[in-house]
Amino acid sequence: MCGIIGYAGFRDARTVLLESLKRLDYRGYDSAGIAIIDNKLKVYKEVGEIANVEKKIPLLKGTIGVGHTRWATHGGVTKENAHPHVSCDKTIAIVHNGIIENYSKLKEELIKKGHKFTSQTDSEVIVHLIDDAYKGNLEDAVAAAVKKIQGSYSIVAVSEKEPEKIVGIRKESPLVIGVGDSENFFASDITAFLKYTNRVIFLNDGELCVITKNSINIVDKNRKPIKKKEEHITWDVKDAEKSGFAHFMLKEIYEQPDTINQALRGRISEIEETIVFPERVEKLLNNEISTIHIVACGTSYYAGLVSKYLIEQLTNIPVFVEFASEYRYFGVRNESSLIIAITQSGETADTLAALREAQMSGCKTLVVTNVIGSTATRISDGYILQQSGPEIGVAATKTFTSQIIVLFLIALKLALHQKTLGPNELYNYILHLRELPRNVRDILERSDDIIAIAKHLKDAKSVFFIGRGINYPLSLEGALKLKEISYIHAEGFAAGELKHGPFALLTKNTPVVAIVTQDETYEKILSNIGEIKARGSTVIAIAEEKDTEIEKHADFVLRFLASSHVLPCISITVVLQLLAYHVALLRKCPIDKPRNLAKSVTVE
Amino acid sequence: MKCVILAAGEGNRMHPLTYTRPKVMLPIAGKPILEWNLLNARAAGLKEFMFVVSYKSEMVREYFDNGNPWNVKINYVNQGKAMGTAHAIGTVEPFVNDCIVLCGDTIFGTNDIKQIAKKGTKIGLVEVDNPTEYGIVELKKKDVVKIYEKMEHPSSNVINAGIYHFNKHIFDSIRKTEKSSRGEFEITDSINILVNKEPMEGVFLKEWRDVVYPWHLLDANEERLKKMKTKIQGTVEKNVTMKGIVVVGKDTVIRSGSYIEGPVFIGNNSKIGPNCYFRPHTTIGNNCHVGNACEIKNSIVMDHSNIPHLNYVGDSIIGNNCNLGAGTTVANLRLDKNNIIVTLNGKKIDSKRRKLGMVMGDNVQTGINSAINVGTMIGNNVFIGPGAVVKGEITPKTTIL
Repeated sequence: MCGIIGYAGFRDARTVLLESLKRLDYRGYDSAGIAIIDNKLKVYKEVGEIANVEKKIPLLKGTIGVGHTRWATHGGVTKENAHPHVSCDKTIAIVHNGIIENYSKLKEELIKKGHKFTSQTDSEVIVHLIDDAYKGNLEDAVAAAVKKIQGSYSIVAVSEKEPEKIVGIRKESPLVIGVGDSENFFASDITAFLKYTNRVIFLNDGELCVITKNSINIVDKNRKPIKKKEEHITWDVKDAEKSGFAHFMLKEIYEQPDTINQALRGRISEIEETIVFPERVEKLLNNEISTIHIVACGTSYYAGLVSKYLIEQLTNIPVFVEFASEYRYFGVRNESSLIIAITQSGETADTLAALREAQMSGCKTLVVTNVIGSTATRISDGYILQQSGPEIGVAATKTFTSQIIVLFLIALKLALHQKTLGPNELYNYILHLRELPRNVRDILERSDDIIAIAKHLKDAKSVFFIGRGINYPLSLEGALKLKEISYIHAEGFAAGELKHGPFALLTKNTPVVAIVTQDETYEKILSNIGEIKARGSTVIAIAEEKDTEIEKHADFVLRFLASSHVLPCISITVVLQLLAYHVALLRKCPIDKPRNLAKSVTVE
Repeated sequence: MKCVILAAGEGNRMHPLTYTRPKVMLPIAGKPILEWNLLNARAAGLKEFMFVVSYKSEMVREYFDNGNPWNVKINYVNQGKAMGTAHAIGTVEPFVNDCIVLCGDTIFGTNDIKQIAKKGTKIGLVEVDNPTEYGIVELKKKDVVKIYEKMEHPSSNVINAGIYHFNKHIFDSIRKTEKSSRGEFEITDSINILVNKEPMEGVFLKEWRDVVYPWHLLDANEERLKKMKTKIQGTVEKNVTMKGIVVVGKDTVIRSGSYIEGPVFIGNNSKIGPNCYFRPHTTIGNNCHVGNACEIKNSIVMDHSNIPHLNYVGDSIIGNNCNLGAGTTVANLRLDKNNIIVTLNGKKIDSKRRKLGMVMGDNVQTGINSAINVGTMIGNNVFIGPGAVVKGEITPKTTIL
């Protein structure tokens, strides 16, 4: 996830671009750059905050240009890897958001043709492709270039040979047009230009648009001109950073169909029927592994617990999930075991300490994180990025589901290596993974049901979450979400364990959220629900769409689409997140900044 | 010559009315302030306008569009980040040469605009009784020597009225202008730079009405209404008494038994009466309803609002889409007859008025028999329960029971 902006108008482009980038920095902030046409194309980029670039740019007369703020996914955080990227003759500049899956192949071809690459990014191939196709018309060249690209992109390009225009195109990455007076904008998000105009045009996948200061021309996939309606945004700038959502947490919950795709992107090779990871990671996974130790804290720990079930189900490798703060002192270290550390920020102090301890005793270490260049990526033997973009809400949402996806891919890779999974089965799993975003979207569309049920939880003193199997860690996560943002005491239990103690706490004022899937424990959980009902408690079941039996047992039912037995845990998680969010909203809690909590815990 | 109207201001001091509209769209005698300026400028011979907009600009654009209904040409430019008057004027540089610039939230008269439009760089001036809130202009004969920002002990009572005639040179001065102590780029600083190089003539204005706080709208409204002529377009039933200037819009019905003491302005498609009492200096918007046994005095009621039964509204402003419950009454005079102190944006301000009711934002509903104390500022989308007593400043979207 990165932020991009393009401006063609009458104002000083430098000021407009920098100002807009500052508004986009929630989309990424590890490096930034701008390109302005001031007779010649002039490019300025730096590592770090946007202010670092600002210091380097002289006053320019240009009124047209592009800008980018980066959240690295391919290539480390360096000045060379920062956007904009320029063509060999330095006449064309592009900014890109997304992931180019076939970049290495394209890069090889382009190098053969004599193009010189200066960065390690996937994005740089785009500008060389455009350059390669350029015959005096920028939009023709952009259209030709994207035909060769596989992956997701929003691209904004300028050329000093056509100094009046900017070309933008998108596929599966956001790009909107801002319609101004004697000026027009491109941006990944309305926030970027909302100070200048609140009139926007939304582009669809494959649509290409050319803007000048006085014109906007949009064409469809077949280059046929289309007319699109202008819409008026009525949010103010404060709301806009949240794209109109009331809280960052809600926005991030709603981003999950996209972040799930991002986590998968570039990692599934359908042609070769395999899962692809960076070389260092492949090496780690192909080693003889006797056991896996997953170390993590908080929500990441629960993601670890979920993946224990996934990995053990697919392979015959035993998995131990441990709190990082415990493992570093008391964990068993065995040279043939793989240590997987999960840390969203890559800076969680306890997890880092556990990683170092593991390495000292000769274990191989793999990190799942969201932040390239973070300490965890530097001290481990290999790392996999979640590619979920920055998360601002303190309560982890999209990063949790992305972690599960990445760990599931690890499980698939291990299973392939262990030959416990054949190509046909893998193909099935891949199909199901591709359906996940749709299943999540379905839940988001039906959030009214969840809002209605949140009312039954808002005055509770205590709430229980129960589940069996993989649903047990989900009930822990559901309880964690509820306690951290709504301040209601909540506990997750393995459903079978209720009778061994926690039952004593159950009163008719303790609502119970039961996660019910139609697997081998289905009958068991129904009887657990019966036992709870007998104590007079309200039971809210989270159950599959096609499960009609459950209505007879639970007081309320929240539904999810389980198009397969693979990863219903993702859909269930989204239901749990929305439930916690709406309860907290009813209780008027400060959802994005819960008391006493910080986003990344860098103290032990 | 183009006429640049500064219409970007958010108007914090006009809360609660500007929570939902830009300051220039506040209505006076049935028309937004900006429209009064547009009409006066047009009457002075100006046909090409440049509106500098920003805050809730879509409302300005929706109302005025390209200016066709007024037979003028309107172009827009968005100020972007609000960085002061010099910055606002600076944004129009690519579009104008010789131009008139006026503050869209102050009403200027036709003859004065004509004077300013005459050849040469000019600035409008007025003499006021209390100049501490304005920029003081020092003159040498007719020409400006210097403008001083708000002084505690003003050297004169001649102030900058907010209307100028500039040529291209002003943009050079704007570029050289530095941030003021308020942290903004002020056009007065740019003018001080300009007058070192070329003379700027001061022109004393005959007509000038600036509105700073909501209650100033009542003064401006009164002034406008007094200049209107009686015009009845709607239906007036039998046994309606009308005295003085009364304007009744299209499709409006004034029902029997209503007693109207002008000057009073009533918009289109409103239902008035039966048996209500309008006292002077009252403006009612379009699609409103004022019902039986209601008394309204010196007030502005905006569109789609209802004062339906047994209400008293005095020296007050009611926003769009409000509804008063039966028996909701507004106090407008302190028992000790002292000036009314208003809390606005958390600060206490002497309104310098002995009579002031409430200022009610858009979409407010009150319950039956609720009582609203003098100088109450009610935010938009507030819900007031039956029998509630309301005073002070009410933040938007709150419920009072």
